[in-house]
Amino acid sequence: MTVALAHRPALASDPALRPVISFHGVGKTYPSGTIALRDVDLAIYQRDFVFLVGASGAGKSTLVRLLIRDEQASSGRIFVDGQEVTRMTRRKLPKLRRKFGIVFQDYKLLPTLTVGQNVQFSLQVTRPGQRHMREKVEETLWIVGLEDKIGKFPDELSGGEQQRVAIARALVTRPRIFLADEPTGNLDPDTSWGIVQLLLQINHRGTTVLMATHNREVVDLVRRRVIAIDGGRVIRDEQEGQYLREGEATI
Amino acid sequence: MRRFLAALWFAVSSSLQNFRRNLGVSIAGVCTMGLILVLVGTTVLATHLLTNVLHDQESRASKLKIYIQDGVSLANIANFQHQLQGDSRVLAVSFENKDQAYAEAQSKGTDIATAVNALGSNPLPASLNVDVKQLRYLVQLDQVARADPIVDPTQPTDYNSDVTPKIQTAITGIEIVGGVLSGMLLVISLVIIMNTIRTAVYARRTEIEIMKLVGATDWFVRWPFILEGVLGGVFAAVLSSAIVALAYKVAVGATTGDLFAIPFDGPFTAVLIAALFAGGSVVGAIGSYLGVRRFLAA
Repeated sequence: MTVALAHRPALASDPALRPVISFHGVGKTYPSGTIALRDVDLAIYQRDFVFLVGASGAGKSTLVRLLIRDEQASSGRIFVDGQEVTRMTRRKLPKLRRKFGIVFQDYKLLPTLTVGQNVQFSLQVTRPGQRHMREKVEETLWIVGLEDKIGKFPDELSGGEQQRVAIARALVTRPRIFLADEPTGNLDPDTSWGIVQLLLQINHRGTTVLMATHNREVVDLVRRRVIAIDGGRVIRDEQEGQYLREGEATI
Repeated sequence: MRRFLAALWFAVSSSLQNFRRNLGVSIAGVCTMGLILVLVGTTVLATHLLTNVLHDQESRASKLKIYIQDGVSLANIANFQHQLQGDSRVLAVSFENKDQAYAEAQSKGTDIATAVNALGSNPLPASLNVDVKQLRYLVQLDQVARADPIVDPTQPTDYNSDVTPKIQTAITGIEIVGGVLSGMLLVISLVIIMNTIRTAVYARRTEIEIMKLVGATDWFVRWPFILEGVLGGVFAAVLSSAIVALAYKVAVGATTGDLFAIPFDGPFTAVLIAALFAGGSVVGAIGSYLGVRRFLAA
């Protein structure tokens, strides 16, 4: 099947602009024999906001995990910021992962740390000894609207607030690329919309955002680039796309 | 430098925090390791003390008494003494004349005066007392002595021929059993500690996952766990040293004055305690390293 890739006329004409993320014929087969991705080609540019859509098991999470080399591709090549992820040595992985801010459906907050400590954890791990850490944490919590919750523990917060803390933790290191794997999966529609607005705000500040989601309403309302995956293949890549192609009942 | 110190501080503070937060698992690990160190310490100490006691018995048994015929000139005795002193198997040779033999017999409470009165002279022969280097040389030197003409042919020599091979066998046996037992206990302790730490690490897999995701290096993730392992090892060593030292002191006090009194060996006790601290720390560190490895590789 030939896939119409989304056009970036303004950027594509600029030879100095390389994709931030590119996949070239990427495949992933698990040891059990399950094929998660087949021959994936895609390019994502700086400041892009991309929805990665598809049914459960379509390969969205695998794609995210391949990007941060939490999994290794079985075939093909992946580039992030011009560096080939697929051939990267284990020693270089921490540097690669520092380019990303990552949030998940289940937040992955540390329950024994306060909101401030959870956010500061990223800085302590990646930039030990950095000056003005506290100020950076407060500023980031202000961006996500939780500046008054700095001393609270995760279990004292709502689901939406916990996801905002996870976003703040990912954002505090000022990553080049923001990966969100089903960030609204556990949230009600109103809260989900708040989270998506926050991601749009982050994108507006210049960060590339790749969001894997099931949330049809959000995708249809925001109208940004949509990459649809089915059975491990990219079946659609559209600027200002919708969750489903017109006339489709399911992906 | 600032980054290094901050990373070090992070590792130390988070290892202390984690030890405190997971106090139940931490205490279980410390008790397990402490118990095994008590067993290792007791085995090593018992092996050392038994070997010492047997070596003492061995040194007492490594004496050969060569009886000299009456009427042999002092020059001939001195020649034979000189010949023995030149033998590589001999540690020392001393001469004991008839009067010294008499005094020795009296000091041991033997009623020698009656015999002297009845016979009209001292019947005890002069002797050369030989300290041999190893028990196995006793028989060889006994043969040398019997061949010399100045030696009393009716009762040429005296040594404890019965006990020597038994002591040798006992020493070898105790050293082998002690060594094997200590080795086995250390391997068992490593496996138990590794699994205890793995349980503790499993409880914190989210923390490791987050550290990996935000771009921590493998060593940055490992250090807090390794320090926590070392901390557990040190606490286990404190516990085991106290128990072993106390038990040793009680055993020494209880056997003082007995035939098989346990002697107090201060320097060895100090070395043993230092070894328990070193062993506890190293086993704790290795256990943590191996426990975290699986989660880092995932």
